[in-house]
Amino acid sequence: MIHDSIIRDRLVTGDKTAADVTRDIARPILNKPSTSWKIGFSLSIVFLGIFVASLFYTLWTGIGVWNINKSVMWGWDITNFVFWVGIGHAGTLISAVLLLFRQKWRMSINRSAEAMTIFAVVCAAMFPVFHMGRVWVGYWALPLPNGFGSLWVNFNSPLLWDVFAISTYFSVSLLFWYIGLIPDIATIRDKVKGKTEKAIYGFFSMGWTGSTRTWARYELVSLILAGLSTPLVLSVHTIVSTDFATSVIPGWHTTIFPPYFVAGAIFSGFGMVATLLVVARKVMNYENYITIGHLDAMTKIIMVTGSIVGIAYLTEFFIAWYSGVEYEQYAFTNRAFGPYWWAYWSMMSCNLIAPQVFWFRWARTTPWFIFIMSIVVNVGMWFERFVIIVTSLHRDYLPSSWVMYAGSLTEIGLFLGTFGIFFTCFFLFAKFLPVINMAEVKSILRNRE
Amino acid sequence: MGILDKNLSLRNRNKMLVGVWEDEDSLVAATSELVHNGVKIHDVYTPYPVHGLDRIIGVRRSKLARVAFFCAMTGFTLVTTMIWYMYVHDWPMNIGNKPVRFTPSWAPVMFEGTVLCTAFGMAFFFFWRNRLVHGIKNELLDDRQTDDRSIITVELTDNTDQNSILETMKKHNPVELREFHNGVQTTI
Repeated sequence: MIHDSIIRDRLVTGDKTAADVTRDIARPILNKPSTSWKIGFSLSIVFLGIFVASLFYTLWTGIGVWNINKSVMWGWDITNFVFWVGIGHAGTLISAVLLLFRQKWRMSINRSAEAMTIFAVVCAAMFPVFHMGRVWVGYWALPLPNGFGSLWVNFNSPLLWDVFAISTYFSVSLLFWYIGLIPDIATIRDKVKGKTEKAIYGFFSMGWTGSTRTWARYELVSLILAGLSTPLVLSVHTIVSTDFATSVIPGWHTTIFPPYFVAGAIFSGFGMVATLLVVARKVMNYENYITIGHLDAMTKIIMVTGSIVGIAYLTEFFIAWYSGVEYEQYAFTNRAFGPYWWAYWSMMSCNLIAPQVFWFRWARTTPWFIFIMSIVVNVGMWFERFVIIVTSLHRDYLPSSWVMYAGSLTEIGLFLGTFGIFFTCFFLFAKFLPVINMAEVKSILRNRE
Repeated sequence: MGILDKNLSLRNRNKMLVGVWEDEDSLVAATSELVHNGVKIHDVYTPYPVHGLDRIIGVRRSKLARVAFFCAMTGFTLVTTMIWYMYVHDWPMNIGNKPVRFTPSWAPVMFEGTVLCTAFGMAFFFFWRNRLVHGIKNELLDDRQTDDRSIITVELTDNTDQNSILETMKKHNPVELREFHNGVQTTI
């Protein structure tokens, strides 16, 4: 028998009805853009301009404008790639894994997290694509017939696995997101007044009527997609980690990388979700939908995954010592006490130490503090990738090729520019599509068990 | 049985009773009682998924899981064949003199290809079965059926006792009752 839960807090507060949910969540779409939206969007466009300018300069002059013409040949570029791919993991985790675990609190945040995934993967893809240098022959990475034999792609290479993993992840995430959006696009279709708007939303709503037959199959398809996406999300960052782990570079050649990268990805992804949602709930008046309870749950995940990542850092150190391999030992001593010590300790402080503050309830339930901590987490996770890539590459086996590395202005511009891509997409999403899954939220208004 | 669920279209319906509700509990109660009384319900439209309603109106369990499995097997076969053809048959690649044959290093691409085919194959069948097509004409019975209103539709034939159905519906506080005749609705 269905009854109101007496042990769980309401997931949506404010005694909302289904009509209230539509009205509240569709408000930004149906009304003219707010001033805060205009300011945020303009700022994003400025950063997008920085990306375009940096990319134009790179393509016009050549990849030599990046400071990677040395043994640190992955530099900021692959650091940024792994950083963005990692951020792209929380969306699928929230949608898929939490769906399988029947965590209903995900319903208020899954839509924006999935959108974030897609935009983050777009940002991530920019880096390896342009790192190729001759980007116009980028299609060589695909298994296409060609005039060299045909000399096909190398299926033993983790870099090729990346091509398949990232493109599959992007496509399946987009599909999952779109299927989830169809009922809400139909709701918007039936609310907008303009003829053109009605036609556009009508086109994408695919004639959705809300039939029970369709809902039953829709729920099944979502469940199966969640079942597929869960191993997919684990495989993607596992494969990204094998870009490093299958090499023989000290500091990279470790079997701990796959789980450590996956935990780090979830950690950084939740960091970015928290950054976006703490702001969005305030600016868009969604406090009744993204409640303190949601922030509490997210910060708990941040704390757990941060601790997993922290244990991985310590395990790496232990194994380096315990293995007796002097190159490994040197690589790790150099990380912590070499010329890049500041990056290593920034990483440790931001990822391992700082999230422990979430043991305290106050820290988990104070939005402005969570916002600051989410930025700390993101900074820490960028440093993690920087530490892994730069500290292992700048001290080669040959001391003659030892170098120091710092990103050039173009590299920095490209990185800042990807925030422009990300936030431009996110602001457009917030203006034209419902940021919260209306249909799912309506189904949990009654707090049933 | 074709893939497309023909029950979903309203185009060929001559006469139907349309009950509109705003309260989920009343809707479920009305549906249950109608089914209990032997009334064949054409469909129930809701703005959000109401669990259990599909079983009440007798929607059979979907075969989408089987379709997904079929798509997975197809994807797995296609991708494995592709790798074998490119890597073993057409242009064996000599890397460190390692033997050119199936190796675990194929697994990531095989896995990703399988997932890709499964997801898109299943989604395609889902869209087809549910008459979800870009640009299709919307067949709505109420402007608010995707917002906050739920609708029960019962197809009327010569043998249907319209009055008893109306009585049952009225017992559960509908917002509105209408008759649907050749695409036109009139309030009862």
